[in-house]
Amino acid sequence: MAAENISVIKVRNILMVTVPPDPDDETISALQEQVLRAMERYEAKGLVLDISTVEALDSFFARTVAETAQMVALMGGRTVIAGMRPSVAVTATQFGLTLGNALTALDMDRALDMLDEMRRERG
Amino acid sequence: MVLSQGPDGRVAIESEGDIVDVRKAARGAAETLGFGVTDVTRIVTAASELARNVYLYASSGILQWRRLETGGKVGIELKFEDNGPGIADIEQAMKTGYSTGGGLGMGLPGAKRLMDEMELGSEVGKGTTVTVRKWLKR
Repeated sequence: MAAENISVIKVRNILMVTVPPDPDDETISALQEQVLRAMERYEAKGLVLDISTVEALDSFFARTVAETAQMVALMGGRTVIAGMRPSVAVTATQFGLTLGNALTALDMDRALDMLDEMRRERG
Repeated sequence: MVLSQGPDGRVAIESEGDIVDVRKAARGAAETLGFGVTDVTRIVTAASELARNVYLYASSGILQWRRLETGGKVGIELKFEDNGPGIADIEQAMKTGYSTGGGLGMGLPGAKRLMDEMELGSEVGKGTTVTVRKWLKR
């Protein structure tokens, strides 16, 4: 089974990725690889993962996202997870899933604001 | 691979991609029964974890789901069966953080929290059956 197409979009020095609604494991792993390659190629300072269309996340998804955030951090960037649906937040919390060091924001706009602010604070 | 669909149905779990089929089938069945979006998400997440366990530990197995109706209550039952190695210590397997498969040890206890009922039967060398149920709140 082929991984779904994932586009990593670069705007200024931020990478943006929209996660498909129901990704299989292969797609999630491919997403991680593409993000890390793009971090290097574009010398990006941050990553926004838009999960607003994701209808359910399980432990593999959460673990891979947490890992990706950590890898991005090692490469000098910050990760913001944007747009988690209320039903997904309720389920993830009851299930016991966490997203590690990743920051979270209600939507893409706020995620970009967060990364902007952090960059200004660091000068 | 989806074998049959509807209020009752079956999905064969033989590859990583079949976990997506399980999620789709569980979502379809739960929505048809009238579960709200948060309960649908709970059911889909639990189904995904249990299907992952089947694939991870037993390589293959089957999900059967059915509509339940008893004493005026309506619900859904998902039954995951495999002929894998079985679980030696069920009590341990139900503890968060315990895993023999290199996972995080969240699957079984997490799935139990998301559903209303869970039954786990296992025989070492024979296989494992996990049954979960969720009832519609009126």
